[in-house]
Amino acid sequence: MKDASIDDLIDGLASELKPVRPRRVVRGSLWVAIGWLGVGALLVGLFGARHDLAAGTMSPLSMLAFWLIAAAGVAAAWSALRMGLPGVGRDYGGWRCAVGALLALPLAALFVFFGDAHGPDETARRGFDIHCLAQGVVSGLGVGAALFLWLKASAPTSPTRAGWVIGIAAGAAGATIVALLCSSDDLVHITLWHASAVPFSAVAGRLILPRFLRW
Amino acid sequence: MSIDEPSLARLMAASQRGDRAAYRALLGDSRKWLTRYFARRIAPHHIDDLVQETLVSMHRKLATWDSSRAFLPWLAAIARYRWIDMLRRQRDEAELGDNDAAVGAEDEAVHAKLSIDHLLTLLPPGQAQAITLVKIEGASIAEASQISGQSESLVKVNVHRGLKKLAELIESE
Repeated sequence: MKDASIDDLIDGLASELKPVRPRRVVRGSLWVAIGWLGVGALLVGLFGARHDLAAGTMSPLSMLAFWLIAAAGVAAAWSALRMGLPGVGRDYGGWRCAVGALLALPLAALFVFFGDAHGPDETARRGFDIHCLAQGVVSGLGVGAALFLWLKASAPTSPTRAGWVIGIAAGAAGATIVALLCSSDDLVHITLWHASAVPFSAVAGRLILPRFLRW
Repeated sequence: MSIDEPSLARLMAASQRGDRAAYRALLGDSRKWLTRYFARRIAPHHIDDLVQETLVSMHRKLATWDSSRAFLPWLAAIARYRWIDMLRRQRDEAELGDNDAAVGAEDEAVHAKLSIDHLLTLLPPGQAQAITLVKIEGASIAEASQISGQSESLVKVNVHRGLKKLAELIESE
């Protein structure tokens, strides 16, 4: 009985086969790049780039933080894209090293905060910059949406992990966009109010996305 | 007839181009492979259902196979996903079969990564023992309690937690 029903199923599936266009990670990368650059360009156009960037310069510290976060974002986005094409034995963990390297920021910020390198008035002057964090999280939505749509149409075999990684990529993308807008060169500020978009978005991705990624 | 990777990859590539005859042959071979795959992992009366579910998932996700990569790991990933889904649906009454069906040597690497014996070694000993006794060997809770020296409630807790962790481990393998 079961054999007959599987035979029927196979006949049915074969008869409705249509040519498919294989999904390519490169094409997904294009969506992510559009989500990243598009939102970045839009926000820079709306709010204007940080003052020194307009002049073609950026402080070394801000530049270093920018590229560190960007590298984590690229690694996470690449991992998320690869998660859409399943295969036992495939390694999707490339993002872990880049995100691990990102821990350099809070570590360095702690030394700066408690050491002499940090002007105690800097944090007080800048205050509670939660709008930078909010802007970072919102700015990452382009990349987050691109990755979500890609994975939704693909076959992620671990929706929970995919949720985390999409969140990390989106948060990192948002943090790099904020770095182009916010003029602060203070490492404590960058860590607290820019880079924290990464864990914030990661948790949001983990909590919100897995149920929509199941198939 | 043995199911070899290069032939399956060729059939899959033709299927992606819309070749129905190749696809029918691919589904037939995949069905045989999946039956053996699930026979080592679940109770016999669940095998046909899971094979059907996996074939339907395979059909829906045909575009996610990358022709530069092997076919069987792709099929195994989809099968594993459906297996986890079943574990989740039936967490409390999941029945993990222990049929030692023969497996072709070319499939061994894929199977070994996900063998239930291997996964059980990754669980705490108490949970592994409770699952082995209750879900694989078919002992009652009382019998498992006597054999293992764990209280009955601890056996139940260990089975529940062990199955939950097992699903997480399968995902991460």
